[in-house]
Amino acid sequence: MRTVEIIVPPREPHFVGDGFRVHNFIPGGYRLDMKRMDPFIMLDYNSRHYFPPSEKPRGVGVHPHRGFETVTVAYKGRVAHHDSSGGGGVIDEGDVQWMTAASGILHKEYHEENFSREGGDFQMIQLWVNLPAKYKMSEPKYQAISNGEITKHTLPDGAGTIEIIAGEYQGVKGTASTFSPVHMMNAKLEKGGSAEFSFPANFNTGLLVVEGSIKVNGGEEVPTDHFVLLENNDTDFAIQAVGEKALVLVLSGEPLNEPIAAHGPFVMNSREEIIEAIEDFNTGKFGHLED
Amino acid sequence: MESTFYNYLKKKVLVKSEHLPLLAREVSKKMLSKGDLLLTEGQVCKNMFFVEQGLLRLYSIDEEGREHIIQFAPENWFMSERGSLYFGSPSVFFIDALEDTKAVVFDQQFVDRASEISPEYRTYNEYILQNHIRQMQKRINLLIGATAEKRYLEFIKLYPDLAMRIPQWMIASYLGITPESLSRVRRGLTQK
Repeated sequence: MRTVEIIVPPREPHFVGDGFRVHNFIPGGYRLDMKRMDPFIMLDYNSRHYFPPSEKPRGVGVHPHRGFETVTVAYKGRVAHHDSSGGGGVIDEGDVQWMTAASGILHKEYHEENFSREGGDFQMIQLWVNLPAKYKMSEPKYQAISNGEITKHTLPDGAGTIEIIAGEYQGVKGTASTFSPVHMMNAKLEKGGSAEFSFPANFNTGLLVVEGSIKVNGGEEVPTDHFVLLENNDTDFAIQAVGEKALVLVLSGEPLNEPIAAHGPFVMNSREEIIEAIEDFNTGKFGHLED
Repeated sequence: MESTFYNYLKKKVLVKSEHLPLLAREVSKKMLSKGDLLLTEGQVCKNMFFVEQGLLRLYSIDEEGREHIIQFAPENWFMSERGSLYFGSPSVFFIDALEDTKAVVFDQQFVDRASEISPEYRTYNEYILQNHIRQMQKRINLLIGATAEKRYLEFIKLYPDLAMRIPQWMIASYLGITPESLSRVRRGLTQK
C-alpha cells in the first residue's frame, strides 16, 4: 500500500495580482519542492474566498510563461483570460483550462466580468506541469475543457464520481492530452464514499482536499485545504470521505528527471536557456498583449 | 498607483508576487532638479539609482577641466559608481541630473537582501551586471577601434531618444570625438 509521507497544511496566503488569493503548495510547501514533485513544478491554491462586487475585474495583468504547461481548474467563480496569440475565453465552474505555454506566451487572467460585478465565492487551483526538454520550445496551444467534456467514471455503490481530466482511471482515458504520463482527476465522493487509485510507484503523487475531509488508507483525517504527499513505496491507495461529501484533486505524474533551471515564469533546463528566455522576453519575442 | 520601480520588479525582473511587497518597502525616492549633483569625485558612493523619470549622467573631469561622459541613465536604467559602491573606494566620477529626475535610491544592502529574498531578483541582477560588462567591453572596443560614424550609430541604437534630449557636445563627449567631428558624421549620414 502506498502510504502517506506528509500532510501539508496551507501556507499563509498571498495575492497574485489583486484577484487570486493563493496558498502556494509547490514548490514553497514543506518538502514539496520541484524535484520531489517532478513533473509538477507549481501549485497555487485559491481556497474558497469571498470577493465583494467590483466594477473593475480583479486579476493579474500581462505576464509571460515558457517551458511548461499551466492547468487551471475553477471550483467556484469564473475566470476570463486572453493571450498574445489572440486566444481567450472563460473558465467556468467545473471547467479546466490546459495551456501549453511551451516556447512562450503572454497572457492575463481576470475574474469574469459578470462574476466580478456580482461578487461571490471564488475557489480554484493553478498547477504548472513541466514539459520534457524536447517539447519546451514547441508551439503554444490550448485545451479548453468544459465540465461536460471531462470523462467521468461512476464509482460503485453510489460512492461518487471520478472526473478524469488527464491520464487514466479504471481503464477510462482522461480528456486532456499530455506530453508525459500525468494523471489528474477530481474525486467527488459522497458522504462515506471511497475510491481506490493505482499509479506506478515511481510516479510522484499528491492529493489536495478541496472540499470536506478525507482519510487516506483509513489513516489520520485530512481536513479541507490540506495537501497530502504520498510515498513512492507502492502503487495502490484509497481515499474515503469522512462526514460530509468530499472533493479531492488527485495528481500523479512520472518524474521527468531532467535538470530544472527556473526564473519565475520561465522553467527550462539550463542557465543559458533562462538567459535566452529573459532576452527574448525583453526584446518582445513573446508577442504583444495590452494590459 | 504602483510605482515604476515596483512595475519594473514585477514585469521585467519577474519577482514573485509573494516577494514584491518585501522588496518595494526597502527603497526610498528622490526628486532631483536639473543640474543637481548626486555624487562628486572623491566621495564614496553609497547608493545605486534607478531612474523612474528623467535622466542621469556619469562623467569625469580631467586635469584640463574637460568632461568625459561614461554613461547616461534614462528611464528604467540603473546608475551608480560601481567601483566606489561595491569596493568602497573614493569615486573618480560625478553623477548629475540632466533633467528634473525622479529616482529610486537603494544601497548594496538592498541588493544583498533582495537577492536573499527573491531568486528571480538575484538572477536578474546578475544578468544586468553581466550585460553591463558586455556593453562596457563593446564600448571600449568601439572607442579604440571604430570610426566616429559607427560609434554614433551604436549610441543611437543604445539610447534611441537621447539625441533629442541632450546637447550635441555631450554626445560628442560620450563618443570621444570633437563636436565638429560629430557634426560631420551627422551631415554624412543625412546625405547617405
